[in-house]
Amino acid sequence: MISVADLLIDNRIPGNYFASDVYVRGDLELGVLENRRGDRLLALPETLIQGIYAGLNKETGQATRLVLFNCGRWWGKNFYDRFAEELNSYYHKAVVDMDMAEFLQSLQQCWITHGWGKIELDQTHQHRGFLVIKLWNSPFASQAPKSNLPVCFLEAGILSSFFSRLADKDLHCIQTTCESLGADCNYFILGLAKRLESAEALVEAHESHEAIMQKLCA
Amino acid sequence: MYTEIAAIFDEAESRYLKADELSVLGQYVGSLPQRLETYQRLRDQELSIMQQVADQLQAEMPQEPTANLERSIKNGLLVLRYCAMSTLLNDDSFVKDRLLNWLSQSTQTYNIQKVDTVLYKLLDQRLNQVFNPQQFSLLAPSLQLAKDALINH
Repeated sequence: MISVADLLIDNRIPGNYFASDVYVRGDLELGVLENRRGDRLLALPETLIQGIYAGLNKETGQATRLVLFNCGRWWGKNFYDRFAEELNSYYHKAVVDMDMAEFLQSLQQCWITHGWGKIELDQTHQHRGFLVIKLWNSPFASQAPKSNLPVCFLEAGILSSFFSRLADKDLHCIQTTCESLGADCNYFILGLAKRLESAEALVEAHESHEAIMQKLCA
Repeated sequence: MYTEIAAIFDEAESRYLKADELSVLGQYVGSLPQRLETYQRLRDQELSIMQQVADQLQAEMPQEPTANLERSIKNGLLVLRYCAMSTLLNDDSFVKDRLLNWLSQSTQTYNIQKVDTVLYKLLDQRLNQVFNPQQFSLLAPSLQLAKDALINH
């Protein structure tokens, strides 16, 4: 027999931790934006994102993508630590012990609430060692200067280190389609760097995401 | 209704409230004692209401894995708590924005719509026994939103 009282933990049922209106708080007089635990949040104005791309292009030229990717890796590492810590203290469960659906639900809501758009995972190719991630409404894609290649290097870095921490394996990340090039979403492929080696050239040759996936899995 | 009332207060510097605006406020205030009573009853009887639903659910779905039944019951408890708050606030969007978009994903992932269908049928029956029709009508709109999001999508 199921005891309803036993389903409650400390008389609570953990819900939607990252619900936007509960998660983001602020004190206008102090000029402070915080999350529900009182940790500081940082708001990035569009001008700053545009300025980061423009400044890096001017100072480092071709290396911009690498600089942004590495910044993303650093950001993603810290983001994973905070994400794991917050979920642990709210659900009383380590991220590695959460089942995939619970984890995904939290990540998706977290992504939306931080204003990074919408995220979805496609695990169809997981048995071949690749995880496909789809992002919509990326603030970085919308503010980057015009290019003929995908521009979400920062997000690629974030995803690579976030999922590396989660999988406990060093994973690389390549973006194959970009909203800035008219695609309906940003596709990213995660996998071991060695297995993604050929993908970079395929992206530069403007191959479609499906064609790249097919060649990687061949 | 809550957002409608909140919007009324935005105009303080430009004018006094019109009769129809005051009437909206009056209706809400007038309904508060009933809302408070409904809320308190639900709060006090949460476990007994849900335990009875859980027992019946198990009896009606003996083949269903316990994990699925427990997940559906836990989600049901969560929905009830949000419906209770929605009733106090008179704001159905509270349950929708904060809970249902998030919850409906997991219902699909775990494929427990079938269990939820039976659970909400039993919950409706039980709530109709515990609350008088007027009180039930205060809970019903947000509960209906939950059913639409979790079962009827």
